[in-house]
Amino acid sequence: MLKAEPRRQSALTRIFNPKYIMVYATLGVFLVIYLFGALMYGDKGFTTLRTLTLMFSDNAYVGVSAVGMTMVLITGGIDLSVAAVASLTGMFVAYGVTVLGLDPWVCVLFSLAVGTALGLVMGAAIHYLNVPPFITTLTGMFMARGVCALISRESISIDNPTIDYLAGLKWYIMRLQDGEWVKLKPVAYINLSVLIFIAMIIIGTIILQKTRFGRNVYAIGGNEQSARLMGLPVARTKVLVYGFNGLCSVLSGIAYALYVKSGWNLALQGSELDVISCCVIGGVMLSGGVGYMQGMLLGVLLKATIPAIITFNGTMNSWWAKIFTGLLLLLFIIIQRVVVASSDRAKKTE
Amino acid sequence: MCLSNDVLLKMTGMEIEFPGVKALDGVDFTLRRGEIHALLGENGAGKSTLIKCLTGVHRMDAGSIVLDGQSIRLTSPQDAQRLGISTVYQEVNLCPNLTVAENIFIGRQPMRRGGIDWKTINARSSELMRRMGMDIDVTLPLSGYSIAVQQMVSIARAVDINAKVLILDEPTSSLDDNEVRRLFDVMRELKKQGMGIIFITHFLNQVFEVCDRITVLRNGHLVNEWGITDISRLDLVTSMIGKDMNEIYNLKKAEQRGDAPVVLAASGLGVPGKVESISLDVREGELVGFAGLLGSGRTETAEMLFCVQRPARGSVSMRGKPVGARIPLDSIKRRMAFCPEDRKRDGIVADLSIRENIVLAVQATRGFMKPMSMAEQQELADKYIRLLSIATPDAEKKVGELSGGNQQKVILARWMATQPDLLILDEPTRGIDVGAKAEIQRLMLDMCRQGMSIIFISSELDEIIRCSNRIIVMRDLQKAAELDGEGCDQSAILSIIADEETGREAV
Repeated sequence: MLKAEPRRQSALTRIFNPKYIMVYATLGVFLVIYLFGALMYGDKGFTTLRTLTLMFSDNAYVGVSAVGMTMVLITGGIDLSVAAVASLTGMFVAYGVTVLGLDPWVCVLFSLAVGTALGLVMGAAIHYLNVPPFITTLTGMFMARGVCALISRESISIDNPTIDYLAGLKWYIMRLQDGEWVKLKPVAYINLSVLIFIAMIIIGTIILQKTRFGRNVYAIGGNEQSARLMGLPVARTKVLVYGFNGLCSVLSGIAYALYVKSGWNLALQGSELDVISCCVIGGVMLSGGVGYMQGMLLGVLLKATIPAIITFNGTMNSWWAKIFTGLLLLLFIIIQRVVVASSDRAKKTE
Repeated sequence: MCLSNDVLLKMTGMEIEFPGVKALDGVDFTLRRGEIHALLGENGAGKSTLIKCLTGVHRMDAGSIVLDGQSIRLTSPQDAQRLGISTVYQEVNLCPNLTVAENIFIGRQPMRRGGIDWKTINARSSELMRRMGMDIDVTLPLSGYSIAVQQMVSIARAVDINAKVLILDEPTSSLDDNEVRRLFDVMRELKKQGMGIIFITHFLNQVFEVCDRITVLRNGHLVNEWGITDISRLDLVTSMIGKDMNEIYNLKKAEQRGDAPVVLAASGLGVPGKVESISLDVREGELVGFAGLLGSGRTETAEMLFCVQRPARGSVSMRGKPVGARIPLDSIKRRMAFCPEDRKRDGIVADLSIRENIVLAVQATRGFMKPMSMAEQQELADKYIRLLSIATPDAEKKVGELSGGNQQKVILARWMATQPDLLILDEPTRGIDVGAKAEIQRLMLDMCRQGMSIIFISSELDEIIRCSNRIIVMRDLQKAAELDGEGCDQSAILSIIADEETGREAV
């Protein structure tokens, strides 16, 4: 007999659909760690909105890049060039504004064009030439780093009123007191980078959940051969995903440039791995097909919480953050394996 | 049975050439509205190739396709779908990570206010699956459901595309009887709606059950087209393999001398929970068949003998010397060889060439310090390609590109090349066509005549009876009986297997 599994479509089962399991794992671990921080350092201000918004603004550039990376990982690919492209963006802006005296907007548009184009080219190489994404994007990374060094070996500081204005933009979080809006104490605000991050998360979610393109991304990650046989535009989707990721890398670079107000050819070295680990911690599977922007957002926050706790502790060496992040990553990779293994087992026993 | 004459699809003069092989040579095929048309042929006859032309996967070299009176050119699967040609493949081609509903609708999702309308997708999928007799939660990921459900999902997808032509490429190979019956109901329903269905299968009784017409291909050529009532089953088989059945099965068992020395002696082998305790002897030139249900301990016994699974107790000796194996390589060095059940997973290395696959085991016995020269390798490969008549242009073709029967021959060649005293074959004829099966059986018997001993595991009793000198029947992880191969018949074996297991169907 065909197994007629009972149909369950209540709101509760919709929420507990097994496809969200990784997101819940991240949420659970985040809550545990956040609770730990709250209990230990609540009196020092760990639970204030200020701490939370600072966690956002310190990691916005990683998060923006992780939006694109999430999509790439869902297709089953990987992109190692993101940090190099972000660094290149910083160089373009710094060199263009400070040395060439160009309008910053021109530099930004130029960077967007170059970064997106590089992404598209890499995507095309991956799909049409069948070069593994790891190698293709490693090449992209070396090229971007090389161009950075060609532009300048020295750090170039950005001194420009527009950039200063953009970097200084702050939206204070207000609260209503005696019929008047006053700044929250301690002062909490979000800046342009955080705004870009939030906007990209929303855009990414809409693309993934509400467009055919986004669903094709999942299908390709699930089984590329099937996706092709189902008549989905595999080539176009893959190329565009890498293009979109290039765009995210540039935006990330802009967020970072606003953060440090300079361009340096060695900036953000190794950050691509931070980006990837945020995604993995956020439940995006490296094997493709599974992942959500919401999970990635939690991954970024989780990864930001650890250094925050260490800062609040005050006595621990900041390298402990790396060790804890490593442990966290290990934990999530093990969870992923367990989830995959248990679903395999479930299939076998049927 | 009424046959409609309203032509829906006409393919004429189809030709495709792959490097070294003419896969299709002037094949014609006609599908009419409201008919179920069986496309039959042995592995490598060109069925899949023909289907892939029709679905836009392969580009044809010559020929024309006319659909609904219009000449069409197909360059991609999207093209085919747009024109109303849907395919359900043997291996489920869906995305396991997506929900059932999404698998049905992906690529053509209904949109609402600029976004995908998930509500409609879920509701309509639920309705579709219910109409196919399945009340399942379509919002769960596909990977949680059995293959049978997945197969139905892919049919639901194909049907909902408003296909004019539905191609079912061996959809029943992983379904049980009830599931097959339900699929047939769905097919008949679709036929009534005027859809043309192309049905590819290896099961002839299914052909006679649902099909209206049959087209047979052989070696890339069209043999003929018949109405279902115009051909007998025997004629059909003969036309598929191009030879007389009797001629194929004209096999003679290898003579067994009673005084032949014992090659393999195993006593009291066992692994808790897998095989209780088994003892057996195999003599030189003897073919010992292992019969029994799946899970009765057949495969496990073979794996213990070869030390894939280390026995917890008992001993194995070859020609009187204890093997004392810890890993399979020890067994290989004692001149044993083992072709495992799942040739795709444990047997062939699909990306290596035929030559590389054949020399693998020989090389392993010599150790990697003593590599074989290219000339030696080529000689060895060519010898076995000739000996086993493996159908390939040359020894450098990737094994993954061969048909199932030829892949099996390559594995046989690999082990024959080590010149073992004992060859263990676990289901060597599964999933290959009748002609190739007979060839493999003939090869086994030839090897026995030359003095090799063989342990032959199979689910098909008739081939066990046809080839074995002695038959060991396994039941419930134990040796249930040992029968003489001469004068043994199916019912005798079945009654042993069925003992205490009544109700479970044998084979």
